[in-house]
Amino acid sequence: MNNKLKVYRAMHDLTQEQLAEAIGVSRQTVIAIESDKYLPSLGLAFKISRLFKVKVEDIFLEEGSEDEN
Amino acid sequence: MNRKRYKQLRVLVAFFVGMIVSIAVAKGSYLLATAGVFTGILFMFLVRSRAKITTDERELSIQEKAARVTYSIFAPTLGIISFLLLLPAQGGFTVFSKGEWLFVESLGIVFAYLTLFLITLYAIVYYLFNKKYGGNGDE
Repeated sequence: MNNKLKVYRAMHDLTQEQLAEAIGVSRQTVIAIESDKYLPSLGLAFKISRLFKVKVEDIFLEEGSEDEN
Repeated sequence: MNRKRYKQLRVLVAFFVGMIVSIAVAKGSYLLATAGVFTGILFMFLVRSRAKITTDERELSIQEKAARVTYSIFAPTLGIISFLLLLPAQGGFTVFSKGEWLFVESLGIVFAYLTLFLITLYAIVYYLFNKKYGGNGDE
């Protein structure tokens, strides 16, 4: 599973700290998600997608999916 | 209060509690040591509830994994140690059943009951969580 969290965060001009506060997790969790070391729960994934006003699958991509890259 | 400040405060409180306990133990006042520890726990509980520090899901996931690994190491280790301690007395070595070596068998019995308690507790907690998260087989 890959994700574009870093890209969306940059697009919305948010720091890791600000994003962490907005979705109610620690900064370490944001770092871990961005570096693909931690896969967020469905609830957190929806929270992130709601924050960026996009679909979950726009941010989180299954490995080998067509949208990847 | 943010998470960073909370962590700094936690280190500070741990330092002070450690200092109080060290002084108390050096003076032989176990009451002061106990009071120091409980005050520290109470203070951190109040700070945590006031600062609304919540444990996030990654930390919970780490705690779950750590608990699982700890259990899977601790339970068999305790069981094996208790077995090894009980073995000499049960194996006909009467020297371990009396006199100064009696503690070996006693320790083995204590460890064996601790192992049983640990496994029973795990089974009960597992059953309760399994029930809570819908694992009772009902459709």
